[in-house]
Amino acid sequence: MDRRTFLKIVGMGSVSMAVGCSPDPYNAPRPEKNLFSLIHAPEDMVVGRTSWYATTCRECPAGCGILAGNREGRLIKVEGNPLHPVNRGKLCMRGQAALQGVYNPDRLRSPYLKSDGGWRAITFAEAEGMLLEKTAQAAGSGDNRVRMVTEVIGDTLLQLCTETLTQYKSAPPLVFEPLGYESLKSANEIVFGVRGLPSYRMQQADLLIAFGADFLDTWLSPVEYARKFMQMHALDGGGKGRFFFVSPYQTLTGANADLWLDCRPGSEAVVALGLLREILKLGRPTGLSRKLRYQLGNTASAYDKATVSKLTGISVQDFERLTEALRRAGRPLVLGAGLGNGSSNSLQTDVAVNLLNLILDPDLSLFDFEQRHRVEVAASLFDVKETFRKFAEDPPALLLLNNVNPVYAVAGGGEIEKAISNPATYTVAFNSFMDETSVLADLIFPVRHFLETWDEYSGKQVPVSTLQPAMGRLTDSPTLGDLLLKTVDGNKRSAEGYKGHLVGRMLSRADINGELDWLKAVQQGGIHQLPEPKRYKGRAGGPAAEKIEELFSTLAEPHASGLTLAAVPTVRFFDGRGANRPWLCEIPDPITRVAWQTPVMMHPDTLKQQGLKHGESVQVKTDRGNLEAPVYLTHSVRPGMLVMGIGQGHTAYGRYAEGQGTNPLRLLPAETDPRTGGPHFVTGGVQVAKTGRKAKLANTDGSRSQHGRKIALTVGLDSLADLTKKKKSGLTMSDFPLVLPLPEGYDPKLDFYTPHQHEGYRWAMAVDMDRCIGCGACAAGCYAENNIGIVGDKQVMQGREMAWLSVERYEDPDDARQLVFLPLMCQHCDNAPCESVCPVYAPHHNKEGMNNQIYNRCIGTRFCSQNCPYKVRRFNWFSWRWPEPLELQLNPNVTVRSKGVMEKCSFCVQRIKQAHGLAKDEDRSIRDGEIVPACVQTCPTEALAFGNLMDPGSKVRKLAEDPRAYQIMGYLNTKPAVFYLKKVIQKV
Amino acid sequence: MGQAEAGTSFGRANRQPMRSRLDGSYGANRNLPMTELTFAKIDQTVLDTLRPASGRYWLAVFLLALGIMLGAACWLYQIFTGIGVAGMNIPVAWGTYLINFVFWVGIAHSGTLISAILHLFRAGWRNPIARAAETMTVFAVCTAGLFPFIHVGRVWLVYFMLPLPNQRTLWPNFQSPLMFDVVAISTYLTVSSLFWYTGMLPDLARIRDTSDGLRKKIFTTLSLGWTGEHEQWRHYVRIYLFFAALATPLVISVHSVVSWDFALGIVPGWHTTIFAPYFVAGAIHSGLAMVLTLMIPLRKIFNYEKIITMHVLESVAKTIIFTGLIVGFAYGTEYFIAWYSHNTVEMETFRWRAVGDYAYGFWIMVICNTLTPLLFFFKKIRTTIPWLFGISIIVNIGMWYERFVIIVGSVGHGFLPNAWGLYRPTLIEMGIMLGAFSLFFFLFVLFVKHMPSVSMTEMKETVAEGEGHGH
Repeated sequence: MDRRTFLKIVGMGSVSMAVGCSPDPYNAPRPEKNLFSLIHAPEDMVVGRTSWYATTCRECPAGCGILAGNREGRLIKVEGNPLHPVNRGKLCMRGQAALQGVYNPDRLRSPYLKSDGGWRAITFAEAEGMLLEKTAQAAGSGDNRVRMVTEVIGDTLLQLCTETLTQYKSAPPLVFEPLGYESLKSANEIVFGVRGLPSYRMQQADLLIAFGADFLDTWLSPVEYARKFMQMHALDGGGKGRFFFVSPYQTLTGANADLWLDCRPGSEAVVALGLLREILKLGRPTGLSRKLRYQLGNTASAYDKATVSKLTGISVQDFERLTEALRRAGRPLVLGAGLGNGSSNSLQTDVAVNLLNLILDPDLSLFDFEQRHRVEVAASLFDVKETFRKFAEDPPALLLLNNVNPVYAVAGGGEIEKAISNPATYTVAFNSFMDETSVLADLIFPVRHFLETWDEYSGKQVPVSTLQPAMGRLTDSPTLGDLLLKTVDGNKRSAEGYKGHLVGRMLSRADINGELDWLKAVQQGGIHQLPEPKRYKGRAGGPAAEKIEELFSTLAEPHASGLTLAAVPTVRFFDGRGANRPWLCEIPDPITRVAWQTPVMMHPDTLKQQGLKHGESVQVKTDRGNLEAPVYLTHSVRPGMLVMGIGQGHTAYGRYAEGQGTNPLRLLPAETDPRTGGPHFVTGGVQVAKTGRKAKLANTDGSRSQHGRKIALTVGLDSLADLTKKKKSGLTMSDFPLVLPLPEGYDPKLDFYTPHQHEGYRWAMAVDMDRCIGCGACAAGCYAENNIGIVGDKQVMQGREMAWLSVERYEDPDDARQLVFLPLMCQHCDNAPCESVCPVYAPHHNKEGMNNQIYNRCIGTRFCSQNCPYKVRRFNWFSWRWPEPLELQLNPNVTVRSKGVMEKCSFCVQRIKQAHGLAKDEDRSIRDGEIVPACVQTCPTEALAFGNLMDPGSKVRKLAEDPRAYQIMGYLNTKPAVFYLKKVIQKV
Repeated sequence: MGQAEAGTSFGRANRQPMRSRLDGSYGANRNLPMTELTFAKIDQTVLDTLRPASGRYWLAVFLLALGIMLGAACWLYQIFTGIGVAGMNIPVAWGTYLINFVFWVGIAHSGTLISAILHLFRAGWRNPIARAAETMTVFAVCTAGLFPFIHVGRVWLVYFMLPLPNQRTLWPNFQSPLMFDVVAISTYLTVSSLFWYTGMLPDLARIRDTSDGLRKKIFTTLSLGWTGEHEQWRHYVRIYLFFAALATPLVISVHSVVSWDFALGIVPGWHTTIFAPYFVAGAIHSGLAMVLTLMIPLRKIFNYEKIITMHVLESVAKTIIFTGLIVGFAYGTEYFIAWYSHNTVEMETFRWRAVGDYAYGFWIMVICNTLTPLLFFFKKIRTTIPWLFGISIIVNIGMWYERFVIIVGSVGHGFLPNAWGLYRPTLIEMGIMLGAFSLFFFLFVLFVKHMPSVSMTEMKETVAEGEGHGH
C-alpha cells in the first residue's frame, strides 16, 4: 500500500467513524440542535426545580383548582390545588390528563382554512384578518347575523362574548354542554323555584340515596363529591354513613354503594314515589301546603311495597331495607337521576327526589344554594337543537364555535351538522383539534389551551378561581379573550389584552382591591374564602300542587321487556373530550378493566338469552342506527340492560380518538325530553345480533374472582371488633400474621438471610380499601409523573400495558355485584423475590427499604417479573414513543426507559430524593407527610398514605398497626411494605 | 507408520488397562452379534462415510444454512425492534426462547450420559452410538447456549453477567439461578467438548493416516500429534476415564441447575423439590429420543447396520421406557403434592394445567412422554425401525411440550388472579426456533460427513472384547 492509499483509507475511515458517532439513531427522535444557557433566567425559574402555578382545570365544568408544575419552561405535571374549595388538592384522571391536551400531537399549530374541499394552513395574522373581515361583513349585513356557540366558560369571558355579540347586534352566545343536567334543573325549578344546580353538603349526611346520580364518575363535580362522600362513608369511629344506589346499572358510583338496587330502566321514579309514600306515612311535619301534601299522598298511595317491587323489579326486602334506612336516618340526602338515566321519567325522578329532600328536611340544610354549579348556565339541548334548526331556515352570516363538538356529542344532531356545513354560513371553530365539528367549519382557529391563558372560571358561583399561563405558548395562537377584544374595539381595551380586562372586571366587581390582591389571588389560584352559608328560604308550602299532580300523572311505564340501552358518561372520557388523551385511553375502565375500547356491558342472563358469549363481537341495533362492539359480561348491570360508555368512536379528533371504540350516542333517539329539553341517554327497542366476527377485548385483568385467595379482603362492620382480638400465627394463607418489613419482622425460623438494616427511614405505603372508590386518578397521576409508556390497544390485548399502579377490580366471592377495588403497585417487599433472582442486581434493595430497579443495569432476563407474586413489574417490550410534542411533558427527574428494560413503581423515588435534599439543606430529618408520591397526592378520597415505617408516629405506621391492616400474599413471607386495610362492608 | 500399525498399536495398547477392568466381566458385548466385524471392516465402514459427498447432501446443507439465515434474520429484527416482536407479556415473560433453551439442554444430556455414565457402567451397547451422541451433546449445548442471548431484552449488555472488574465493583449476583446456569452450562460445554475431542483423537489420527493433501494437513493438526505410542494410549485411556468420571456428575448437575431456574422461583408449579431429578430424567428421556432420531437415518445412510445394530437401538428403546416411567412418575408426584399440600394456589395451578387453556399441551406431554414409550414393551415395536423412529419423534415433541407446560403454564396462572394471562408464540419466535433446529442439524450433518461419526477406537475395543482378544 502506498502512502496515498493509506491516507485515503485513514481519511475515509475517520469520516465514517465520525458519522457513526452521531447520537443513537434508533431511539433519539432528533438531537437538539442548539444548546442555550440561561444567562437571563426568568424570575421564577430555578433550573432543576419545579415551579408551581395555581390555575383552574377546564377539563370539565366542575372547575377544580390545580397547580401546574413547570420545569425549565415546560409544563410537566398538574396536581390539585390544596387551597381550592372544590377539590382540596385532588384531581381526577381527566384533570391529570389535561397535560396531554396541551401537548397533544394532533393539536393544531396554525389556523386551517378550508379551500377546495381540503385544508390549507394559514398564519394567525391571516386568520385574524379574515375573522375581523368576516365579522365586520356579517355585522354589516343586518341584525343577529353573528352567532356563537360556546362551551361552559367563566363569567368574564361569557360576558365579553355577550358584549361582543351585542356590538354586532346579535343575540348572546348559546352555551352548549353535552351533559347539561336539564332534568335536574327543571326539577329544581319546579320544587325549589331555582332553575339551577345547588351543590350538596354530602359530607354531613348519614344516609345517601342516589337514583343514578353518578357523583363519583362525572356528575356535577366528581372530585368534590368523592371527597365529601368519603367523609360521610369512610369508617370513622366504628361507624360509617350508608349509601344506597338505585339504578339499572352500577357505574363506579353504584359499585361503591352499600346496596345497589337494580331497578328496571325508567322505574327510578317509582322507587322514589314509594319512598315518598313511606315517609308521608310517618306523618312528620313537612312544611308542604296541605293541598300538596294531600295530593302527594294521593299520588304516592298507589306505590306500596308490592307495586314498587312489581314495577321496578326490586325485591320487597331490598325496598324495605331502603325505607327502613330512610326512616331511621338523621340527616338523609337523596340525589336524583344520573346523566345516563336521562330516560323519559328522569324529571319525575328528580322532582320526587327533591320533594323527598324537602319533606325529610324542610330547611334543606344539606343543599347549598349559594354554591351553585357553574354548568347550570348551559342551555338545554332542546334550545341548542332549536337554535341550529333555525339556522337552517335563517342561516347566520357568521357562526363562531368555541371549543364545542355538538356533531359528536348530540344524538341525531343532523340539523347541527347541516347548519355548520351550510355554505351560507361562514363557520369559525375556535378549536385546537380537528374534531367532528371543526372539520365541518370553514376556518379552524386554534386558541390557547387553558393552561396557557389568563382567565377566570369558577366551577361554583361564589369563590373566584383564576387561570394563569403555566407555561410559554407552544403555538402562536391567541386567547379567545384577546381575539374578542380586538374584534370589539380595536384599540380601547385590546392593548392591555384580556388579562387587563379580567383584572379590571375583578376590580370593578370588588373581588379584589388592587394589585396585591390580584397577585395573591393568582398565586393561590383564586379567592377561596367561602361565604357564610345562608339558610334555604324556600317557597312557603312548597311547589304548586297542580304541577306536581300533572307531572306524576304522566309517569311512563318503565321498560318492562325487551332490551334497553343506556349510554353513560364515564370517568375516563366524560362527554368524549377525553378520548384523544392517550393516558385516558390506556388506563382501563374501572369496572370493566377494558382499555381503548367501548364494550357493551350485559348481564350473564342477557347473554344467555341472546346466545352470546363474553368477548364476542355483536351488532347493537336500534331504529336510529347500529354499531358493532365487543360484549362484556358483568353483574354490574341488570338483566335486559345494555350499557355502553360515551366518549369514544370518534370519526375525527386525532390519532388516539379516531377509530377507537364506538359511539353509543348514534343509537339514541334524536328527540329531546318535552319537559326538560334534555337528551335521552336511554332507549328501548334494542336488538343485538352476532356478527360472527372475532373480537378481542383489550382488557388488563385476568380473572375477576379471587379463587379463594386472600387478596382483596373485606370485613363486616359488625365483626370489626373481632379483628382486634385475633392475633394470627401460622404459616398458611389464612393465618399468616402481618410481618413488618423491618428488622423486628425477622424470624430465624422463617428467614434464611439476616434482616435488612435501614438507615433512618423505611418507606412504606398504606392503602385503605374502605376509602378507595376505584376511580383510577392515582394511575393517571402515576403515568404523568413517571413517564410511563403508552402501548396502544393491540399491545394491551397482548398483556403489555405499562401501568405501574393499576386499580384492580375483584368481585366478591359471595356476591358478584359487590366489587372490591385494589390499587396494586410494587409492594417493595423486604424479602423481595425479584431481587434474589436477577443475575446482575438490577432490582436492588436500598438502605431505606425500597426495592429499586436500576434501569442501566437491567439486561432484560425478566426473571424478576416471573418471580414477582404480585405481577407488578412491567417490561419495555419496545421503545415506546411519545409523538411530538408529547415528549415535552416527560418528567426530567425520571429516566425514560428504553426497550429491553424492566420497570415498576419506585414509590416516586425522585420525590423522596428531593425531600432528602431539602431536609439536608435544613439540617433535619424528613417529616411525616413531606413526601407525597404522585398517586397519594391525587387520590380524591385519601385512600393512600405514604411515610416512614420506622417512625412510630407516622401515619403509615399507625395504619399498618390498624386491626384492618394486612399484606397481600403475606404468607409467602415477602414482607411487603404496602399495607392494605380491609374494606368495611356494612349490612344495610 | 501405516494404518495397520495404528490399528495394532491400538489393540496392543488398549489391552493393558482393559484387562483389569474386564475381569469383572460385564460382558454386555457378549450379546452383540459383532463376530463378523473385523478391525479393517470397521475402519472401512467409517472411513467410507468420509468420501466426497453427493449433491443431495450439499442441498441438505444448503437448506439448513437457509434455515439458519432465517433464524438469524428474525433475531436481528428482534434486536432492533424489541423483544415485543415475540409473544411474551406480563405475566408470561418467558416463552419459546427459554422452552427451547431447556429443550436443547435436555437433548444435550444424553450424549454425556451415554459416553460417560454408560462407559463407567460398562454398557457395551453404547459404544457404536457414543460418538454421535457426544456430538449431539456438544451441538445441542451450543444451540441451547444461544437461547439465553436471544431471550434477554438487551443482548448487547449481556456481559454484565460476567464477573468483569469494574469501577463500581459490581459483581454478578450468585444468588440468582441464572448465574448458576451461566456457570453450569459453560462448564458442561467445556467438559463435554473436551471429552468429545479427546475421544476422537485416535480416530482423527486414523483418518490422517489414510488421507493426503489438504485433508491430511487438517487432520494432522486436529489429531495433535497422535502417534499411537504405548505411552499415548496409556494417557489416553486414563484421561478418558477421568473425563468420564468428571462428566458424570455434570450430567446430573447441569439439568438440576437448569431446573433450579424454576424450582428456586416461588411461582406455583415451579417451586418444588422434585424438579431436579424430574428435569434430569426428562432430559435423558429427550436425549435418548433424539439419539434414536439421529441414529436411525445415520445408520441407514452410512450403512452402519452392522455397527449400530438393532440390539443397540433396542437398548436405547428400553432405556426410554425407563426414563418415560420416571417422568410419568414425576407428573403424578406433582399432582399428588399439589393435592397433599392443600394449598389453594398450588391446587388451582395444577387443575388449570390439566383442564385450562393449555390443557392440550399438558395432554400432549403426558401421552407423548409417558404413554407412547410404553409401546416399547412390545419387542416387535422396539425392533421395528419405523416404530422406533416415529416414537422417538413423538417423545421429542412431548418433551418440548413438557417445557412449554412448565414454563408458560405456571406463570400464566400465578398468585394474583387479576394478573393471569395467556401467551402465544409469534412468527418471529417460530423463525428463530426453525433457525435453531437448522443450526443443530447443520452442524450435525457437517460433522457426520467430515469427521468419524462412529468411534473406531471404541468399536475395535468392543470387537476385541467380543472376540476374546486380550483375555
